[in-house]
Amino acid sequence: MIMGSGPLSFLVFRGTALRGPSRNRLSPAPQSLSFPVSALLAALLAAGIGLAPTPLHAQSAPVAPATASPENHAASHQEAQTVFREKIVPFVNTYCTDCHGNKKQKGGMTFRNALRNPGDSAFRKLWKQSAASLKAHDMPPEDAPKQPAAEERAVFLDWVTKTKFLSPKDPGEFVIRRLNKVEYANTLHDLLGTDPRIAQELPDEVFGAGYLNTLSPLLMEQLVGIANQVVQRALPSGDAPPSPLEIRLFGPSLGNPAEANPAHREATRRSFHALARSAYRRPATEAEVDALLAVYDLGIRNGRPHRESLRLVLKAILVSPQFLFITPAVDPAPDQPIVPVDDHQLAARLSYLLWATMPDTELSALADAGKLRDPAVLSAQTRRMLGDARARALFDGFGAQWLGLGKLAEKTFDSKKFPQMTPSLREAMVEEGRLFFESVVRENRSVVSFVDSNYTFLNSTLAPLYGLEKEVTGSEFRRVPLTNPNRGGILGMPGILATTSFPNRTSPVNRGVWVLEQVLGEHVPPAPANVPALDKQDKAKVANLTLRQRTELHRTNPVCANCHKILDPIGFGLENFDAIGRWRDSDENGGPIDAAGELPGEKRFSSPQELKKILAARSEDLTRNLTERLLAYALGRQLEGYDEIVVDQMTATLAQEGHRMQTLITQVVTSYPFTHRRIHPLPAPQNSPPAKNDKKVAH
Amino acid sequence: MTKKWLIDRRTCLRGIGASLALPLLETMGWAEAPKSHPYRPPVRLGFMYMPHGVIMDQFWPKSPETYLTDVPRCLESLRPVLSECLIMKGISGVPIAPLNGAPHALELSTWLTATLPDVHRRNTIHIAISADQIAANYVGGLTSLPSLELATMPQTHKENQEGLNEAYYSHCSFRSATQPVPAETNPRRVLNRLFQTQNQAQTSTSNAADPLDRSLLDLVLGGARDFRKRLSAGDQQKLDEYLDGVRSVERRIAAIEHRQKEAALEAAGLSVTKRHASDSPPIEIKIPEGDKRSDYMKVMCDLMVLAFQTDTTRVATYIGSTPNGVSYPELGFSDEHHSVTHHSNQAEKVEKVAKITAFNIEQFSYMIQRMRSLREGEGTLLDHSLMLWGSGLEDGNHHQRDNLPFILAGRAGGALQTGRFRTDLTGNQGDLLTTLLHGAGIPLDRPIGIATKRLNEILVEA
Repeated sequence: MIMGSGPLSFLVFRGTALRGPSRNRLSPAPQSLSFPVSALLAALLAAGIGLAPTPLHAQSAPVAPATASPENHAASHQEAQTVFREKIVPFVNTYCTDCHGNKKQKGGMTFRNALRNPGDSAFRKLWKQSAASLKAHDMPPEDAPKQPAAEERAVFLDWVTKTKFLSPKDPGEFVIRRLNKVEYANTLHDLLGTDPRIAQELPDEVFGAGYLNTLSPLLMEQLVGIANQVVQRALPSGDAPPSPLEIRLFGPSLGNPAEANPAHREATRRSFHALARSAYRRPATEAEVDALLAVYDLGIRNGRPHRESLRLVLKAILVSPQFLFITPAVDPAPDQPIVPVDDHQLAARLSYLLWATMPDTELSALADAGKLRDPAVLSAQTRRMLGDARARALFDGFGAQWLGLGKLAEKTFDSKKFPQMTPSLREAMVEEGRLFFESVVRENRSVVSFVDSNYTFLNSTLAPLYGLEKEVTGSEFRRVPLTNPNRGGILGMPGILATTSFPNRTSPVNRGVWVLEQVLGEHVPPAPANVPALDKQDKAKVANLTLRQRTELHRTNPVCANCHKILDPIGFGLENFDAIGRWRDSDENGGPIDAAGELPGEKRFSSPQELKKILAARSEDLTRNLTERLLAYALGRQLEGYDEIVVDQMTATLAQEGHRMQTLITQVVTSYPFTHRRIHPLPAPQNSPPAKNDKKVAH
Repeated sequence: MTKKWLIDRRTCLRGIGASLALPLLETMGWAEAPKSHPYRPPVRLGFMYMPHGVIMDQFWPKSPETYLTDVPRCLESLRPVLSECLIMKGISGVPIAPLNGAPHALELSTWLTATLPDVHRRNTIHIAISADQIAANYVGGLTSLPSLELATMPQTHKENQEGLNEAYYSHCSFRSATQPVPAETNPRRVLNRLFQTQNQAQTSTSNAADPLDRSLLDLVLGGARDFRKRLSAGDQQKLDEYLDGVRSVERRIAAIEHRQKEAALEAAGLSVTKRHASDSPPIEIKIPEGDKRSDYMKVMCDLMVLAFQTDTTRVATYIGSTPNGVSYPELGFSDEHHSVTHHSNQAEKVEKVAKITAFNIEQFSYMIQRMRSLREGEGTLLDHSLMLWGSGLEDGNHHQRDNLPFILAGRAGGALQTGRFRTDLTGNQGDLLTTLLHGAGIPLDRPIGIATKRLNEILVEA
């Protein structure tokens, strides 16, 4: 090892790195953090986070479903541009940039870059935050020299709802995607009949938006190892008669003919076309087939018999990128930045979304015939596939994550307080969620029924939590009508009540956050880092308070109150359910449960049942939330820019069609970003402000 | 040289079946040293992580003067090896503005990168190569595994603070700015991977490799390169990760083949092992039954020690715990680590945080003591190593990151001055990582992350 190579080795830092990091940092020094976090939170909340009548995203509700047509998009884009140039730039320069510009960047916030390219999705959050602060009159601060007139504020707020029109029409990249663990195992099964458990040793993966699509050396090593095993299991060796699989893969005519026979080699080569078509989920090119032939030749050259050489070919296929990734069948056009996803890639994309496995014969045939891009065909296929048992993948990959049930198996519970939280009860809780989710999908019910419904699925393990142990016996799950209106829907479901609890007690705050974020799609900001400690209170006094009274102390502090006045009522509205979802009328200290509360807009409730009704009335928000989540999952990325317009459109259509779940799924599958992809960067945006303003900003 | 079992034979048979090919095990040695330059064991670099910070007055020693005598409670388990350790107060973390709402998503991912993710591309991974991977790039080619990444929990936590990609929560190693390195959590699998060999083809195991694998992968790689030409730029970038992965598998097979040749030469009396006769035999691995956390963490530590001892790798990271609501039932309470760290100075919670910290350091101490017990060359394995334990926050209660807790152990072959508590140094996490890599003999062409200097004071003057 190189020891003591002297201080010089340190001085060869290349380039300008040594000039110190602070010059090209994106953020200001920490001591300049004087932006009032509390003010921001207050503003966000005032702007509609929570249950206010006009939630943030409701402001951006679709003007008309037709907004996505190219002319309308162009017109809206133009209008947003004009307003930006004529009103917004002067507004920001007058009221904001003294503190949030080039010289000062209070709270780490600056409009410098946003003014250059206002439509960039990177600044979406900045615009929304400023709108919230502005609306709440937190910004500009009271002691600022100039205050905007009410009308100016209104113009700014209205424009922020239209920033989405500044984004160019863009479906996103859809970069080649590696099959995840589950998809990989299912595909091996469908292709070769391999037991899917062969992949169980692969690391687990997070699905959905932001899904980690990387391929590390470790994973590659494991994939090579699995390919070895698969080939050995799938294909007999030695002199055994050819298995049906072998015949299916390589054709019937190839027993063990004499080696080095050119005609035989050519026949072998031909068989690779069909094999590659299934394994690559698209037709293989001649070059790809030749690459397989080279592997075959490698075997023959090294004295391997014909069959052994075919095994090598199969192994090569299983570790090749065309198998491991969902890849396009058509080469990229050099001059078109956006192209339709080709039929074969679309079939694979759809199949992996709904089934987590490769397309079946019917879907493949439609792709081969070039018919899948027809929206009617695509919708019909989607409905067909949702009726198939493989569609449980949609719950496993999406539903379980959305509902947080994926975490339940690993979650710790206090075993003294909740001895019944056994693995089998946890499993039953997840199974209830799955069956319920699938019933909403299969029966094409309204999204609202996730919140409010009159049935669930129980077995004898789970029934005691509902007090239905007499009615439901046996380990088999069955559909059970619910007469207790406090149950029914995800808010009264034990699995969800348990994942949102602490190990030893309920957490009204967690439950409140969960409902706002997962059900209504609001963004709840994290607690500020400088939360004042509650221990300044008289400790003895605090000890005597109920959980509710203690939690309400949050609301004596204005920093906390803004969020907690919305979170807490929802959470306490569910306090009749204990940490594993049993009904209770008194808490662990014997005090009665007080589930009454009030939400902004004078919406009062006194029981979970009434809370559910209030939430169920927000069908637009429920639908939008689920649409956004499913679209992000289907695209494998977070939504941004143009996607917002797509979601507006989908939400409007869904409202007309009763918020039905299958409609929602077909909307996602036939959407512009699902059926298109960007393969080259779009031309530079033409929306920089005029040079004069640009200069002013730059100074 | 007498034959020594690398791993207790029973463990082997019980643990991983026949897939461990015993005849190869005696070949674990390192490259031959010419007679003119006496052999020196290589420097190993190890990193072990705990999230959420510590209770400061129970972690930091009282003063430099009383470092060895007045041991704070969280460091109690290190008492026997304090002279091998260096503790520094005054190392600050990466400032996280404008991602202020993401202290936990960033504490682990900034730990070895000393870099803030690209805020404009926060929903994808865009950070920087981590210190361990920089080291692996330099010394990894000399061992059959360039680096080893271990974790106690699966890296599947799903939460995005400030819109950051979930993977920031659970990864500390990054192969490049865009490629997080996954860690292994199954000790059995790690053991298998460390000593998996080409010979398995003859032992008829199901996971057998094929002697033609390297040539086959070559052809696959060629095909993939042709395929790459037909892809768009974005797709090509993705495929490069794949190509990198295949090349790395090829290198690994080559390293194993090289070892086999050496073994054959040695068996034929044409070469001599480089290990000293007095070196300790490879340690025994016992894979625990049950799910006791301390047993589990100890076996992961053992695996790291064994990998170092047999020179299977020279760089390893162990994410002892991830910032995702882990709890410690073994300590007699069910609270989640994260929620007790927001203790608001309540005695009960402070006590729990201190217990969790002490518990994590106990495992690290176990590893250090084990390394010190192994003779290697003129000293011990620990003498030739540089082990860093730490957290990405100072105090989880308020998310401070001004004085990150760090424990260094080992002398890196004589480069590091240990046996002290230093309060006279200030610097940042990047400075520290830059210094450590320098101490381990890794040449750098630029400072790591936010580094501006090297902390020469902790190094022995060359």
